[in-house]
Amino acid sequence: MSEALPIARSPLRAAGPVETRSGWEVSALRSDAALRLADRTPMAKVLVRAPGGGQVAARLGVTNGSARRDEHGTLIVGSGPGDWLLLGAPGCAAELAARVEVEDDGLVSVLDYTHGRALMRLTGPAAAQTLAKLCPIDLSDRHTPDHTAFRSSVAQVATDVVRDDVDGTASYLLHCERSSGQHLFDALYDAGGEFGIEPDGFAEP
Amino acid sequence: MKVPTSARRSAPPPEQICRLPVQPGELIERGQPLSFTWNGRAHTGYEGDTIASALAGSGVRIFSRSFKYHRPRGILTASGLDPGCTMQVGDEPNVRAAARRLADGMDVRPQNVWPSLRYDVGSANQLVGRFLTAGFYYKTFMKPQRLWPAYERILGGFAPGGRIPRTAEADYYDQRYAHPDVVVAGAGPAGLGAALAAAQAGARVILVEEEYELGGCLRWGDAAELALLDELRAAVDASPDIEVLVDSVVAGRYDDNWISILQRGLARVAERLIKARAKALVVAPGLIERPYVFAGNDLPGVMLGTAVRRLINLYAVRPGARAVVLSANPEGDAAVADLRRAGVEIAAVLDARRGEDVRRAVGGSGVKAVEVADGRRIECDLLVTSIGWTAPTSLLNMAGARPWYDPAAARFRPGDDLPEGVLAAGGLVGDGTVEELVAHGRAVGAAAAATAGFGAGRPPPALDVRTHPALFRASTHGMVDFTEDVSSQDILAAAAEGYDSSELVKRYTTATMGPTQGKLETVNTVAVLAEATGRRIDELGTTVWRPPYAPISLGALAGRTHEPVRHSPMQSWHEAHGAAPLIAGAWIRPDHYGDAQAEARHVREQVGIIDVTPLGKLDLRGPDVPKLLNLVYVNKWSKLEIGSVRYGVMCAEDGVVMDDGVTGRLGPERYLMSTTSSGAAAVWEHLEGWLQTEHPDWAVHIAPLTTYYASINVAGPHSRELLARITEGVDLSPDAFPYMRVRTGRIAGVDECLMWRIGFTGELSYELHVPASYGVHVWQALLERGADLGTAAFGVEAQRILRLEKGHLIVAQDTDGLTKPYEAGLGTLVKLDKDDLVGRPELVWQQQLGEQQRLVALQPEDGSIVPAEASQIVRGTAIVGRITSSRFSPTLDRSVCLGTVEVALAEPGSVVTVLLPDARRIRATVMPELAHVDPEGRRLRV
Repeated sequence: MSEALPIARSPLRAAGPVETRSGWEVSALRSDAALRLADRTPMAKVLVRAPGGGQVAARLGVTNGSARRDEHGTLIVGSGPGDWLLLGAPGCAAELAARVEVEDDGLVSVLDYTHGRALMRLTGPAAAQTLAKLCPIDLSDRHTPDHTAFRSSVAQVATDVVRDDVDGTASYLLHCERSSGQHLFDALYDAGGEFGIEPDGFAEP
Repeated sequence: MKVPTSARRSAPPPEQICRLPVQPGELIERGQPLSFTWNGRAHTGYEGDTIASALAGSGVRIFSRSFKYHRPRGILTASGLDPGCTMQVGDEPNVRAAARRLADGMDVRPQNVWPSLRYDVGSANQLVGRFLTAGFYYKTFMKPQRLWPAYERILGGFAPGGRIPRTAEADYYDQRYAHPDVVVAGAGPAGLGAALAAAQAGARVILVEEEYELGGCLRWGDAAELALLDELRAAVDASPDIEVLVDSVVAGRYDDNWISILQRGLARVAERLIKARAKALVVAPGLIERPYVFAGNDLPGVMLGTAVRRLINLYAVRPGARAVVLSANPEGDAAVADLRRAGVEIAAVLDARRGEDVRRAVGGSGVKAVEVADGRRIECDLLVTSIGWTAPTSLLNMAGARPWYDPAAARFRPGDDLPEGVLAAGGLVGDGTVEELVAHGRAVGAAAAATAGFGAGRPPPALDVRTHPALFRASTHGMVDFTEDVSSQDILAAAAEGYDSSELVKRYTTATMGPTQGKLETVNTVAVLAEATGRRIDELGTTVWRPPYAPISLGALAGRTHEPVRHSPMQSWHEAHGAAPLIAGAWIRPDHYGDAQAEARHVREQVGIIDVTPLGKLDLRGPDVPKLLNLVYVNKWSKLEIGSVRYGVMCAEDGVVMDDGVTGRLGPERYLMSTTSSGAAAVWEHLEGWLQTEHPDWAVHIAPLTTYYASINVAGPHSRELLARITEGVDLSPDAFPYMRVRTGRIAGVDECLMWRIGFTGELSYELHVPASYGVHVWQALLERGADLGTAAFGVEAQRILRLEKGHLIVAQDTDGLTKPYEAGLGTLVKLDKDDLVGRPELVWQQQLGEQQRLVALQPEDGSIVPAEASQIVRGTAIVGRITSSRFSPTLDRSVCLGTVEVALAEPGSVVTVLLPDARRIRATVMPELAHVDPEGRRLRV
């Protein structure tokens, strides 16, 4: 007898009441605090590796260190030389992977990373000040404007950071390997205490 | 009669008898009175007061007792450098009370006194002061050496400073990274000008001021200077590119302008350490007024000219009733004017420029009179000295520059050896009117911005340096270092004993080693030493200033502690079921759930599951993966079939075993490699290193998947039956899914799960790799659906027992940094006929050399004894091996071990001697196989 697909769980402890969204158990909290930290782990995450000057690279359209949102709302992140990370709605990893399939482009690998990574979003005017307590990168608009991507140590965890402002408010997506996710979340929450940080529930993007 | 503390606390606070009418630049808010206690008695002050100014406003003159002689001390500088104003505030010791803002409800107490500040028993040390000179400790407590621990205990009791109660709550300290273009250290006239000019050029600026307000000496200036200050402050406030940090200090400058800044005054953070990477540093601290050395120079009532100007102008405090002033410069003359305006009777002004001088200050607990060099005795309660300046070049020294002594100015000055990106501005460089200092700051700020890439900038103009009489010591001896109680006589004595350089005198006498770190003392120390040795000040030079520039709490240095921990998806289940945590690197793993022996027995008899998520897992893709595997593993990989798994051993270039694990082929060009838990990151780096540096032409992609999968090992005779209940799409029969194979299927409703049939425990077992978000679900499904089979969780300790019974080695436990594969029983895996493999030359040499050591299984003759791991195996007094692993085997009901021994002792049946940590020697027998249990492998191949 075939079993129904079970509920997926994030590595981050859900804050407040929970609900099920797209097969994931997520926090149903809604915060209007000026600084908010939310678990975005359920987002589909697809790692693409391909030659830097090939068709896949051209189709993805971003270079290492930058990000853009495509017509489907997918955030395409140039996460390394010949490395891209695609972030989309929960459950759409296969669809994202299919979009980058091309022939004759050398070695291309597409890997669903959804379950292997923790993803969180830090949003608010004080987001950069909060992150600056944990991350040695220059977070000023001059050096890391909206849609900048970089990999750095954040609270001693190797983290992919994408600045992805929301309605003109500074916002960062932070992406690390799953087992360190709670540590990273806790460190960000601790750093944001000075600015009145609150946990927020799941929402897209 | 002693007055009870409670009565003193409830007594009305003393009148603020020394408060003046409103002063033009005063910082206090007279509409906001504050209450606090001093030494147990109620006092009042105002918002904006420092602790010291509030006490001075109430007429308090004695603030502390000195370190060694317990001499009474009062205000000397009225700044953060004041050596007489260190106090205990609540739970916080060593508070610099002349720099700490008063807060309502503060409990302020003196430190290092008994029974009271006024009558301190320690002051008896003054009676034997002639025996307590510099070097006293070194000479007195050298012999007999065996008594040093006792001396140390007793001397420790004399250590100065406050106390932190054991009940004190921890404060919150953190840190922050910053990337300004320009850091300006000091916000006096030059610093303000520099910050404004740099910002106007487009640079982002951090302006750091040690005091609570911007302005430096402008704050106690005349009306024009106060107006200039208002103008500068307004411009700074209006500049979005200047971040102003007050009550903060640039603590250190390191290579490439890596600058540490200590920030205070934050709402929820006690102190914050800012690590700033600046393109340019402007050092603009101004000048520090230097004390004068004469008898009685540390009596309460002896103050510097800048101290009285601060007290009068900033805090509206009259520093005394009748004053004698020794002045050698215009600032001293301005102090006289301020004193007159404050209603202080000027008993005499001694003009050092005309050769007038003091001889000594007379008094017990405070100044009562001054003896003048011409023999006069003048009754007074205040002696003010303005005899010269020290240029605080510390930050420049940290950048590698050395100051030089300018005899005309009678102070050290910065040299022209500043590295690029480090600039000096204002009074540190030269003298001038406040307008000239601002202009100099502006020029330096523009040059700093240019260094950072903003604007053209031009070399800043030179500042004139006015001549100044060289005054260091009067005709009498007095204190040189107030915080360390080092007198000019101590310096002379040290010189007489041969300590004739600045650095030696510093170390021998401890002069300049107190909290002020030489800012008040260094020049006087060098000058007295010059006098003693007959050498010039410029010949002696200063000691070297190192970070920190100002005292920093250990809390600020520690900041928040970020020690990442890693958890598997099943961690919550482990915690809920009483797992004892095992810290394995960053991972927190379940060591056992109460009884590891029972858990191991249960696996042998029924079925158990263990969380093995930390096992390293690497996704390898591409047509050249077999080439990579052949390179990094000692064995061959070209013919691994899809669906098969193979054990591999990895060696480093020195031929030493570095890791092991299994790799399975999941598709034509897709493999999954497993590594040891601790070796995951190193192996990934190792593989990428070889790919990127030696074989960039190979088409291989590597991606770490360690935490993509929740990994569960299902082990025991019933494991196949258990899996059959929750697995779809995989034929589990022995023929369809034999040992060392991998399959992909659906487990407990979760697709894309990997199943490896391998066996670390020696039992029929399957390693499941499940998408991590479903880890808990599959874990619980195994337990629930296998309840009738006796399915139970087991921990790492049980796994270690089981693998030891089976004789499976653990890399880095049963091997070390010298273990070759041949010595670890892995020689048959090494295939030297491959095209290439990492460590090949060493492996060839090892093969020719033959084994020196061998890993063997050992069983103590007395099976109840479990030798401690790392116990030596000895022959007589010679060490011939060691126990690498040992446990009590529940299967065999006896102790079992693995160990390395010399080859001559490695034959089966040999008996070796094991030296236990308690010095007992036991005998152990070398076994024929590494496996103690099921050496034929029948249990895992069913």
